[in-house]
Amino acid sequence: MSRRLPALLLLGLLLLPLVSALEEQNEWEEDNTLAWQYEFDSGYISTSPLFTGEQILVRTSGNGEPAVTAFDVEGEKLWQYVNNRSTNNDMSPLLHVLAGQGTCGVWPEMVLVGWTDGRIEALLPSSGEVFWSTQSEVAGWGVTGQFALDGEFVIVPTRRGIGQYCLADGEEQWWTQTGLAWRNGVAVDESGYFLGDESGTLWHVDRMGESISYPLQLGKIRHTPLFTEAGLVLHAQAHSSSTVAVIDTSDGSISHQFPAGPSPAMPSLRGSFLATGDSSSLQIFSCTSLCEQVAEVPFHTNGELRWFDNNAIIAPSNTPDSNWGLFTFDGLDNLSYAPLDVGIYGYGTASPLQFIHEEEMFTAFGNDQSILRVFSKSVEGDEPQLYEFDWGVQGLIFIMFLLIGSSTILFLNGKNEWFFRTSSLFFLFVLLLIFPDISDQWSKAFDEQFPVDASAEQWDEQWPDSWLGTQIIIIEIDGEEHVVGGLIGHETVYSLTQDACEKLDFQLSVESTEIGYYIQSINGIEGKGWEFFVDGSKGVVSADSSTIESASIVRWTPV
Amino acid sequence: MFQAIGAHGPVLSPLAELLLDVVLLSSAFVLLARPTKRPVFDSLFMVSLVVSVSLLRVVMQPLPNVQPVTVAALLVGAQLGARRGAAFAVLVAMISNIFIGDGWWTVFQAAGWASVAVAGSLLPLVTSSGLNLGRACMASIAAAFWFDFIVSFSILDGTIGFYEFIIYLGHGLPFDLLHMVGNLTFAVWLGKWFFNLLEEEPTLEEIEFAVVNSHGIDG
Repeated sequence: MSRRLPALLLLGLLLLPLVSALEEQNEWEEDNTLAWQYEFDSGYISTSPLFTGEQILVRTSGNGEPAVTAFDVEGEKLWQYVNNRSTNNDMSPLLHVLAGQGTCGVWPEMVLVGWTDGRIEALLPSSGEVFWSTQSEVAGWGVTGQFALDGEFVIVPTRRGIGQYCLADGEEQWWTQTGLAWRNGVAVDESGYFLGDESGTLWHVDRMGESISYPLQLGKIRHTPLFTEAGLVLHAQAHSSSTVAVIDTSDGSISHQFPAGPSPAMPSLRGSFLATGDSSSLQIFSCTSLCEQVAEVPFHTNGELRWFDNNAIIAPSNTPDSNWGLFTFDGLDNLSYAPLDVGIYGYGTASPLQFIHEEEMFTAFGNDQSILRVFSKSVEGDEPQLYEFDWGVQGLIFIMFLLIGSSTILFLNGKNEWFFRTSSLFFLFVLLLIFPDISDQWSKAFDEQFPVDASAEQWDEQWPDSWLGTQIIIIEIDGEEHVVGGLIGHETVYSLTQDACEKLDFQLSVESTEIGYYIQSINGIEGKGWEFFVDGSKGVVSADSSTIESASIVRWTPV
Repeated sequence: MFQAIGAHGPVLSPLAELLLDVVLLSSAFVLLARPTKRPVFDSLFMVSLVVSVSLLRVVMQPLPNVQPVTVAALLVGAQLGARRGAAFAVLVAMISNIFIGDGWWTVFQAAGWASVAVAGSLLPLVTSSGLNLGRACMASIAAAFWFDFIVSFSILDGTIGFYEFIIYLGHGLPFDLLHMVGNLTFAVWLGKWFFNLLEEEPTLEEIEFAVVNSHGIDG
């Protein structure tokens, strides 16, 4: 680790300009000014507004005005389409569809709307005119989940099933019963569709409507499943907690899971980074071959999460006098939080809408007060700023280009000795830059292929149930076991040990050596040194290099 | 491979550490102790060589497993012979670890580099025209893996089985790769220069002897 850490630091230094640029996001309130606002007579704005390229569309529902309303970017109301039969909270996000054609026919640019009265409607964004309308099943509620597009079809999660409808005319192709569901979206992949239900069952439905159920028993699935390299990600809601789970879609098994707080928000994915939220915190996971939690900050959010530019997340805080939270993630493991005061307060679950129109960036906020506030800022001056901060990275890239260019020229000129010199230096640079990732991924892959058999650390029945599925550490001092459990989010033995020592009020004395962090003493006990075991296996790398799972038991014993 | 030992390897008491250092230092002196025509010059040369390479190792320590000492030991062995090469390796391991971190692993590092130096003396790296760079590059690549392999034995403390040891070696392969590319870079950039630096200047007596010998043959 003593070698990995400096390499990471080197990489961090190279990325410092980018991180500094990200910090500009914390000045959001200074940079953005209120462009306009609109107060609806009643109802809630429960889903993110939609921008079609010309119009901003907002849906309202609840105790009145179940409608879709269109504005231009200056705030002028263009049209409003009201569906008075929809009397419950409409939670299904609007879906923008570009014009196209298929075997069912031709369709224009449309906005698809799902209503709690079961109606599925295609509106023309220019006028609000209904292009087609079709009725789906109602069981108390109608449509509440997020639609998905699949070629010439729209896939709609209804109250107790899933249906495939032609975009050209809304004709139902098939409908298949799944489980009773609410706010469950549909995810599409090459094998078909995935959606969850209120009983905690994940459903796979193929393109012919044939379904397979996977009863996960983790809790209610109230969002669109997300595809990651690690597998299908779900954030399931239990009675007073939740679970972020990664599912192997080949057999519906749970690859790994992470405990989380109550009332989960709708997770959001950007590249390999997953943002989840609940009533206790907002978390970031890195999902490559495996998902692992990389950052967490306390926050209360239960609605839509959305990534914006520069790895920023704006999340609604669903509390009585709340506002929004602005989170900035550095792409590694740092997540910073800043409250965002946009002038409307109270419960809210809708993520803001952000779009650029004629060199202006607009951000539209709406919440349960039915107030829409749209902020704007000029984006003309942004690009030079980015170039200003990138010079270090650009310099390195320039040197790399010089090296690879020189190598090519020298090779072509037959100067083999100099060719080997420049190319070896180039490969050394490249390897040093990517080494932390390579090493990390290699270790994980190796561990998966060649698991070390060991007498696993046993669960102690005296431990509280709340520690199940969490990280637990046992420190043996003078024959007495000091145990700390219920810890989450630690990736290394060292990080977990630090946290546990803080909780136990133990002093941890560490020396950094070439071969990693050397634990000199714990709570003043040096002895002949300390050794650790992860789930019964003796650590064979340093504590800061030894990675742990979300439910590991680590034991420290004096030699 | 030389990533880290567990929480630690076998922990040495201060007395054991002292004994270890004495043994290492003694072995270096034994290896160096031989008649020489220029004792002061040779000693100063070896000291400056050891100190400069040790400092280079300390300076380059932040780069993960980039080990200039491996190539240096190989070339010192090739040019100055197995004894002085091994002594150089032991001294560099000891001195640089004073700054980087001393412990049980120092023995294995010293053994690893000393074996690389011995290999350098045995391999046909030197030709009539000087260092054969191609062979030196190949040897430096092999030396990276060999050194890492030797050092990996430092984790064996009686509690790690064969399978776990293999797992440990497997984990270290990316580090081996980096060591290999680092060695290759050192060899192609500095190999010839360093090798020529080590070339021994003949003494006046040797020159005189060669001339007389030559005349004798002519006569």
